[in-house]
Amino acid sequence: MAVKNRLINPGAGFARAGFAGMLFLAMLLVSSMAMAAKYDVVPPSGTHKGEDVPQPIEFPHNTHVKDNGINCMYCHTYARRSKVAGIPPTSKCMGCHKVIATDKPRIQQLTKYWEDKEPPPWKKVHDVPDFVHFTHEKHLKTLVFDREFPVEDVKEVCAFCHGELENMTVANKVKPLNMGFCVNCHIKNKDLGAPGDCWKCHK
Amino acid sequence: MSLDNILNHWSDYRKGSEEGGHHDYEHRWAMAINLDLCIGCNACSTACYAENNLAVVGKERFEKGQAMHWMRIERYWDQQELEHPEQGASFLPMMCQQCGAATCEPVCPVAATYHTPDGLNAQVYNRCIGSRYCSNNCPFRVRYFNFYSYYESAWPEPMEQQLNPDISVRDKGVMEKCTFCVQRIRTVKDKAFMEDRPVQDGEVVPACAQACPTSAIVFGDTMDEGSMVSKLWKKHQVERGVYQKTRHAKKNADLRGYRIFEDLNVDPSVMYLERVREDI
Repeated sequence: MAVKNRLINPGAGFARAGFAGMLFLAMLLVSSMAMAAKYDVVPPSGTHKGEDVPQPIEFPHNTHVKDNGINCMYCHTYARRSKVAGIPPTSKCMGCHKVIATDKPRIQQLTKYWEDKEPPPWKKVHDVPDFVHFTHEKHLKTLVFDREFPVEDVKEVCAFCHGELENMTVANKVKPLNMGFCVNCHIKNKDLGAPGDCWKCHK
Repeated sequence: MSLDNILNHWSDYRKGSEEGGHHDYEHRWAMAINLDLCIGCNACSTACYAENNLAVVGKERFEKGQAMHWMRIERYWDQQELEHPEQGASFLPMMCQQCGAATCEPVCPVAATYHTPDGLNAQVYNRCIGSRYCSNNCPFRVRYFNFYSYYESAWPEPMEQQLNPDISVRDKGVMEKCTFCVQRIRTVKDKAFMEDRPVQDGEVVPACAQACPTSAIVFGDTMDEGSMVSKLWKKHQVERGVYQKTRHAKKNADLRGYRIFEDLNVDPSVMYLERVREDI
């Protein structure tokens, strides 16, 4: 009978556990608090490489950044003045590629999108969950403009979270971008004004 | 402040405002609601539903007391013994009072609700395990629990497009409550930060205050001496951390300010201005 009861209502069995149950809960609470205090929840490097995100055109970041030395913010221009870095409009690509490398198959692909007046369906690679409030503009203001960090080297700042895109073709997620990753950096940079308040990011 | 702060300062976590609190506050957001101006139209409540992705639960669940109205209008009859038109309705908008010494905070087993440097009672949905201790310890009954996955039915097909992206849609098993429209505060603070200036008075307007047709709700920062809300609090001699036992004894008709359950020493951030009634 007792077994049957427990099967129907697992809660009843737990209530009978009484003192032992309370002790278990208390231990769980204390241990979870101790764990939370360490913030040591970043997976070791190399274990969190994201899956390849297939893009409509295999965009070579390395050619643009490394070989031609184009600033990240030339294309991702919204990074310094909005929450999101943004994907550049096709018109920005065509600004150069009307005349540059028009014989390459990837540029011809792009020109077709441009002539059909359709945006290439780019996929988002670095996507934080919906409950996270993250602003590019504040990070860039603190880490680049207020520190008078040379803007031409901004890719080093971008690389904190996005990895070294100068060595990638299509962007790939190489940093974990989980809460531990964010909080670790925020604790290290308290004197730069990095907030430690939950409601600064959680919404 | 953060979890770090809560763990290190657990013992003085409950320190009330009269002892100086435990915070270096950046802001202390507060409200002043003039009940003389409140006409009980429920516009504030409706605005809150739209702004904060509140689920409409339906009649049956409403009757069970599971409505998710962060902002609700409480109705009282001045003279209950009379018939309907002569009863004289009084209205009182009730939302989370963002107490300075909140009763909900210390009972949370996982520190999902805590005090921010802005003087708000934060609720972190990701951290909440749904123990409902906070709700049971709240004297104002302004915390609402997601008993169901309301998002499955509350916003049928095209309606999910009207959800506010600045606040998450809560799932079942999570406690929620009025946040003083923290997403609007956050946006304004971000803007001020980008422009290297302090937040101005009147810049942050919560949805309820914005929708109020009679401007009964005034919102602002009590740490800013010149703000509208500071002036109102001062004018009606309502102070944080001070319980005005003698105020009603004085019978000064000009001092209409009071805070609900002030005698519980929870130090609410919302001041109400009493309704002026003719003596019959």
